Amino acid sequence: MLVLSRKPGESIVVGGEITVTVLEVRGDMVRVGIDAPRSIAVHRKEVHDELMAANRDAAASPATPLDRLPRPQVERRHGG
Amino acid sequence: MLLESERLGQLEVDEESIITVPEGLLGFEDRTRFALIPADELGAYTWFHAIDDPSLAFLAVVPGFFFDDYAPDLPAGDVTALDLTDPADAQVLCLVTIAGDAITANLMGPIVVNVRSRLGRQVVLPDQGYGAREPLGGG
Repeated sequence: MLVLSRKPGESIVVGGEITVTVLEVRGDMVRVGIDAPRSIAVHRKEVHDELMAANRDAAASPATPLDRLPRPQVERRHGG
Repeated sequence: MLLESERLGQLEVDEESIITVPEGLLGFEDRTRFALIPADELGAYTWFHAIDDPSLAFLAVVPGFFFDDYAPDLPAGDVTALDLTDPADAQVLCLVTIAGDAITANLMGPIVVNVRSRLGRQVVLPDQGYGAREPLGGG
């Protein structure tokens, strides 16, 4: 892992088009600003990991007959 | 085209039902083409099946059938990436997880499809109060 020291207001450029700026350091909390192209997804790692685990579990779900799954609420359906 | 599926066997899928997901799904980034295969008569359940992997299939729900109040707000970057010029072109699907008796749907990371361009994307909505494993209630 590359380790760099930065002060508030200083930045790091990744791959030429992503800029990570340290905005504020207060106690054990660091506020970071990220400028990246819209095509690049930027998320907190715990969110990324949670969704990755959810996808894996979804893909590994056992085959289940439809009549054992919850029935849709037809009459209350709205756009989805 | 003929789709090979470990869950569903061999089946013919309409080319027009094939969705391109350029970035793949989180954890499955190398699978970028999926077929939408209706799983029930109502259209509440749908298979989201990888074209290039017979073993990769997700059961998904159209959330409006199960979650009355679900109204995700799509971030501008996702709208751009999906080339969504008309909100009416967006179809939202939530992947279902079955683990024992627990049947849940992922409302935090729905799949959004532009039905006009057949582009899809898993959008990430961490701050809208929706969980990745919301119990799938029934009527």
